[in-house]
Amino acid sequence: MRRRLVPLAVPLAALLGVLSAGAADSKEKKTMKPISNPAAGSPLRTSLLPSPASPLIAFRIQFRCGAINDPAGKEGLNVLTAMTIAQGGTKDLTYKEVTERLYPMAATIDAMADKEVTTFIGSVHRDHAKAYYDLLTSVLLRPRFDESDFKRSRDDLVAAIETNLRGNDDEGLGKATLDWTMYRGHPYRNLDIGTVQGLKSITLDDLKAHYRKSYTQGNVVLGVAGGYPDGMIESLKTDFATLPQGAPPLVALPKPKPLSGMEVTLVEKPAPATAISIGFPIGVTRADKDFYALLVANSYFGEHRTFNGRLTNRMRGDRGLNYGDYSYTESFIQDGGSTFPLTNIPRRQQFFSIWIRPVPPVNALFALRQATRELKMLVDRGLSAQDFEATRKYLLNYSRLWAQDQSRRLGYQLDSEFYGTKFFIDRVQEELPRLKLEDVNAAVKRHLQAANLAVAIVTENAAALKETLLSGKPTPITYQTPTTSEALLKEDKEIESFRLPLNRERLLIVKAQELFEK
Amino acid sequence: MSDLLKLLAALGVVVLGTRLSAWGEEMPKGGSKVFPYPVNVTVLENGLKVIAVPFDSPGLVAYWTVVRAGSRNEIEPGKSGFAHFFEHMMFRGTEAYPKDKYNAILKELGADHNAFTTDDYTAYHVLAPATGLETIMTIESDRFKNLKYTVEDFKKEAGAVLGEYNKNASNPFQTLNEKIRDTAFITHTYKHTTIGFLRDVKDMPNQYEYSLQFFDRYYRPENCSLLVVGDVDPNRLVELARKNYGSWKRGAYQVEIPAEPPQAEGKRTGVDWPNPTQPYLYVGYHGPAFSDTQIDMPALDLVSQLLFSEAAPLYQKLVNEEQEVDLLFGAASDHRDPYLFEIAARVKKPERVAYVESTITAAIEDLKETPIAADRLDKAKSHLKYSYAMGLNTAGSVARGLAHYIALTGDPEAVNRVYAIYDRVTPEDVRAAARKYFVSSGRTVVTLSHKEGAAAGAPGGAGAAVAAR
Repeated sequence: MRRRLVPLAVPLAALLGVLSAGAADSKEKKTMKPISNPAAGSPLRTSLLPSPASPLIAFRIQFRCGAINDPAGKEGLNVLTAMTIAQGGTKDLTYKEVTERLYPMAATIDAMADKEVTTFIGSVHRDHAKAYYDLLTSVLLRPRFDESDFKRSRDDLVAAIETNLRGNDDEGLGKATLDWTMYRGHPYRNLDIGTVQGLKSITLDDLKAHYRKSYTQGNVVLGVAGGYPDGMIESLKTDFATLPQGAPPLVALPKPKPLSGMEVTLVEKPAPATAISIGFPIGVTRADKDFYALLVANSYFGEHRTFNGRLTNRMRGDRGLNYGDYSYTESFIQDGGSTFPLTNIPRRQQFFSIWIRPVPPVNALFALRQATRELKMLVDRGLSAQDFEATRKYLLNYSRLWAQDQSRRLGYQLDSEFYGTKFFIDRVQEELPRLKLEDVNAAVKRHLQAANLAVAIVTENAAALKETLLSGKPTPITYQTPTTSEALLKEDKEIESFRLPLNRERLLIVKAQELFEK
Repeated sequence: MSDLLKLLAALGVVVLGTRLSAWGEEMPKGGSKVFPYPVNVTVLENGLKVIAVPFDSPGLVAYWTVVRAGSRNEIEPGKSGFAHFFEHMMFRGTEAYPKDKYNAILKELGADHNAFTTDDYTAYHVLAPATGLETIMTIESDRFKNLKYTVEDFKKEAGAVLGEYNKNASNPFQTLNEKIRDTAFITHTYKHTTIGFLRDVKDMPNQYEYSLQFFDRYYRPENCSLLVVGDVDPNRLVELARKNYGSWKRGAYQVEIPAEPPQAEGKRTGVDWPNPTQPYLYVGYHGPAFSDTQIDMPALDLVSQLLFSEAAPLYQKLVNEEQEVDLLFGAASDHRDPYLFEIAARVKKPERVAYVESTITAAIEDLKETPIAADRLDKAKSHLKYSYAMGLNTAGSVARGLAHYIALTGDPEAVNRVYAIYDRVTPEDVRAAARKYFVSSGRTVVTLSHKEGAAAGAPGGAGAAVAAR
């Protein structure tokens, strides 16, 4: 039971070394064929990826509930319930006893609670299939809901907001503040881990009620991959049939309110460098054809942690502004130490975003101007034929690396079922060859823009930054070592006075210590 | 502490049963063989080790180049962080393959590629279709032989390194790591973190000449290993390696790392932190170097499990029962030279730091006096073995795990020897290791707590592994 529950807590956890290789997975097999929902008529849905030769078994038990299900005033209920279950005891065993039994197997039970789904993730070597199965099903079906487990989990979550997010992780705080700015009046606005006051107001009875309501037969998908023994899936179905039948109604999602110009939230805190996130809601997800066109455009513009993206090459490569600059066509969290996306954070509504890694404060507005200008150029000019071909070819190969082990493959399979589309990587392989340059550039014009943007800036001296923003004055770059390139110097002049579509009424300063309080 | 590679490597290896068990039966416990995949090692005439590990990753290869130079090699004053900075420069291109061309080739392959630097080594890794092997080797061997960059490129890259420093500067662990090294070490280069002292990072643009010297010293075939894991034919790999790396010239440089004198007395220092935080307690005891023949380090790895794993009584007491701390960690990470057994705790209430420290110390003292129960030791060994077996799930993770041992010893077989030692560790070995290394004169304690108005992010630093992007 590694403490890997909360994506926001990951950077700190990683430093403590508790992440290690994540859950244990097995190597991918050529023979793997997805088998989905074989039990027609059964209310219990399964999602299976058998790989009989594998010595490992991966579980992803997913419930259709997330932060959007949190009642007002009890923000954090969903995550706290999941955490108290995954890091708690069973009716028969204390948490200590569960931990002691998992330990020699090096097996794990993790929970990941996102906006719309909550996924319990486990892995075990098949030497221990039965013993682990008994623990996993007991933890999920007969949770102890012990006061001590509850209190510990709540303390961890409060600390994840008060200390880790507000204090230690400026980049995470920037991304969370982007959601907060972009999704006013929308269920996606809150953190997945709730608010400080919300968490503090939750009782153990609230958890039990949420469990009874959301952990039901009609609300769960039983995902299993690897070398699981004959009969295990039947047992799983029998055991989960003890959950209440049915499913709670899906939370309705309103259309996100349109942004008006550039709406900026400045987060004030002691910080040696300035973290910036930019974004806006978009109307496409993996279910839509245009998503695949945007995938190509986005990879060209800002592929995560590569030297392929134009943003990184112009901002880091040419100017040494920071460590990297990336963009995304959907909610993205990096999976552990890899560069690949975490699975099982699907959303019915998605957003486009740009992540500018911390820059020296003196260059904050130059960086914001450069990224905005680059986005505008992408929308106005699109990709060249050469960039389109190179990027498409890249993605066709690169996407094959996204699901190398069976747990990740299972994660992608669950996500594909969420979106009601075929296996995502197969869909990428199918859609990309059909695309034409005009399709990509048209999709960019349909869905991306640089006029109405939410921006989050985590910085010291927010008042001074606000004043500079309002003044509209040029904000030239300060080089650590001045450049001699004429072309760069010329472009720098254009960037430093690039006009930002600032919404002067929606320019907020908030103190980090006040964010996500209630 | 934050050496994630160590964590991968700290996991045990075993070949476990391969037949399917009937549902409901427990499988017999695994055998005793260690690394389950064949390791083919060939040393070229110029000293380059070429290592092929066929692994079931159809159509994919992990291509790693391990350079046995890290921040440990930064012996001159003012040059801390240079091994890592140099790793960045390796992406700035050659005459034949300038930066953009190099990147375009890897982009066409759909490769995932990056690099990272630790205290002891630097690793460059590519994950790509196996059909691209020859192409990858052509461009990788070229940059190791013929790297070329302008002074201006060099200076620009220094900005990216400063940005890498900045992205972590709000995290207390970076500062704690820098502080404990600087306090615990006097002469050895482990005194500084891999990313280096901030003053040195800021001075990097002025070190162009030194960068050429660094390349000349360490980027030599006898100091490097080429490791390919996955869908690879060992014979063809050697054939290609001879063709591409054969002309790479041996070097002659021998580094002398200053030895650390024994610590004479315990040390204690504190850090004021500008952002509100629970206090941190960070303790380091001088420990042994990695060894695949001596029992000390494997015994301390088991000590780490017995005291600080989630099933350990000390962890259960402080984290789950008393709930005094929300984070607890303790381990000795593998290093070529003697490093520290590090312990970190985040204490929920400032007034309880002294209690937490005394509780940890008491658990250590108990380990020195009372032999551990044999069944607890067996469970810890089982945990290590299964963790490792379960971690070997992709070509990249297998390569990463082996690169660690190649870097430490030059020999991938070290992994087998280490895990054979784990099997032999007895309760008495655990007690002896605890007595030898957990001594008050070898201890350094750093505490970090909130102080309004403290400087943000200073002095800063980074953990053990830092990457090109």
